[in-house]
Parts: sequence; structure tokens; C-alpha cells
Amino acid sequence: MRYALVTGGARGIGREIALKLASEGNFVLINYRSNDEEANRTLHMIKEQGGQGALLKFDVANREETDRILGHWIEANKETPIQILVNNAGIRKDTLLIMMGSEDWDSVLDTNLGGFYNVTKHVISPMLVKKYGRVINIVSLSGLKGLPGQVNYSAAKAGTIGATKALAQEVGRRGVTVNAIAPGFIKTEMTQDLKEDELKKLIPLNRFGEAKEVAELVAFIASEKSSYITGEVININGGLYS
Amino acid sequence: MQVMTNEEIISEIKKFLVEEFEVDEAVLGPDAVLKDALDLDSLDYVDLVVVIESTFGFKVKGEDFVGMVTFKDFCDYIITKVNEKK
Repeated sequence: MRYALVTGGARGIGREIALKLASEGNFVLINYRSNDEEANRTLHMIKEQGGQGALLKFDVANREETDRILGHWIEANKETPIQILVNNAGIRKDTLLIMMGSEDWDSVLDTNLGGFYNVTKHVISPMLVKKYGRVINIVSLSGLKGLPGQVNYSAAKAGTIGATKALAQEVGRRGVTVNAIAPGFIKTEMTQDLKEDELKKLIPLNRFGEAKEVAELVAFIASEKSSYITGEVININGGLYS
Repeated sequence: MQVMTNEEIISEIKKFLVEEFEVDEAVLGPDAVLKDALDLDSLDYVDLVVVIESTFGFKVKGEDFVGMVTFKDFCDYIITKVNEKK
């Protein structure tokens, strides 16, 4: 059994990833920032399907809190190192740059890009020691194409894509792969304010994606079967952008 | 980890350099220039940090290597860090 950490695992795509990884026999640590109820629901769903997991509550944007809580877990569980890391935690604060307050810029960068650093820094060392690891960064179409109204989010996701490619080169020789998965429009709370009827006309597959479809791809990259794939950004967007 | 003497630490360092990095032990004199003796490329430092951390149990920072020139500097650094943990 491998240990997997899914950040932002309480809801949306993160929840589906947690469920899928658990269903494949991994012990899943569900990280979340604040929503105890939804996080507990994810854990309950994992257990209902016969899987194993635990909750790990901390804000990935908060370096001190991440050091304290995740650092402590890693120190206390040296026999069961995290070998699959899914950096999924993310927030959106959409507005045009001309109206974007510094708080909207900072918080999106701190969570989406800073969170990658804060968490991965802790998890990568045991992976390097064991010469096995899978780091999967959930990015976005926004980080590849750039989307108006998301200058902050596009910047954070593009930054994470750069980090993915660089880190893949640093750690490949020790059996650790690092990849990014870039979903397009996926049906979650994060996209419920979007006009699906209009937007789906732009998508060759003519619909929004399901979080489960993203989770299937993550599960493959997280498995041993993906052993020769690293430094990649894999689109999952119904053909919207390639 | 059991308390190690300085000689044991140096012996441990030589051991992992020979085993993991295929360094010829004969070149590891105190004044040997680390970069030349180890013939490391930048990515080898990933392995070096992993081996130091797992062998001696302390966290290595990038700035720790600043000003480190000779094999003796490298040993002194590790000895200092190991002694800090005692």
C-alpha cells in the first residue's frame, strides 16, 4: 500500500482524486483548509467504498502551518512515507487586472503556486531517499492559454507548469516523476457560476468534463504504469485547447 | 543515531562518496578541492543532499555549500552539524 496526499481533497476534483486513489488501494491523506464537514464526507466516502484514509487539516498557503502540521506528520510516520503527491489545492479570485486588488493577486499566487512549494518541499525528500515518487500538479487550461479575468490564476498555474518541468529534471534520476494535469471546464463548485450552455459550444466534445474523468487520468499518472512519463503537461479539456 | 566520533563521521563520509559517487578514496585528502574530487554536476547535488540527510539525519540548505571548497571544509561542515544534534 502506498501513501498518497491530495491537497484540497475535501471537495470537487480533489475529492474525486482522493476517492479514486483510495479505490486503487492507496492510503489517502486528505488535506483541506477549512471545510470540516466536506472533508469528513470525503473520508466517509472512502471508507464506505472499503478504502483507507485520514484527514490532514492545514492551509497550503500558510508556510508555518504547513511546516508544523505536514512536517510533523512526515516526522512521525517515517515508516510510511508519502509516495504520491497530488497538488490540487487552488482558489480563484477572478477579475480584470485593471480592477485586481493586491490581495486577490497575492492570495491566488500564495495558494496555487506557493502551496506547491510549501507542500512539495516536505514530501520530495522521502521520495528521493526511497527512489520512488509521483508528484502530480493540477494546473489549468488557464495556465497554458491564459484566460481574461484570470491574470492571477493564469500566472500561478503557468508558474506551476514551469516548476513541474524544472523539478522533473532535478529528481528524475532518483525515480521520481513530476507531471502536470491541465483540466479545462470541469463540473465542480468552482465552475458552477459559468454559463455551460454557451461555453460548451466552444468544446469539440460539446460538454463540460466530470471530476471523475480527471481522477481517472490522475490515477494513471499516480500508478507505476506511468513510469516513463515525466515533465509533461497533460490536457484534459474535451478538445478545447491542444 | 548513536553518537559518532569525528573519525567515524569522516569514515562514513568517505564510505558514501566511494560507494554512491564512485569517488577514488585516494583523492580524498583534506586539501582536495571538493568540486574536482567529486566531479559532481549540479544534479548530483540532489543525490549528495539525500545521502547526507539520510546518513546523518539533519536538513541541508543550499547556502550551506557556499564557501565550501576543500574536502576538509565538507567534513567540518558535517561534523559541526552532527555535533549540533547531540
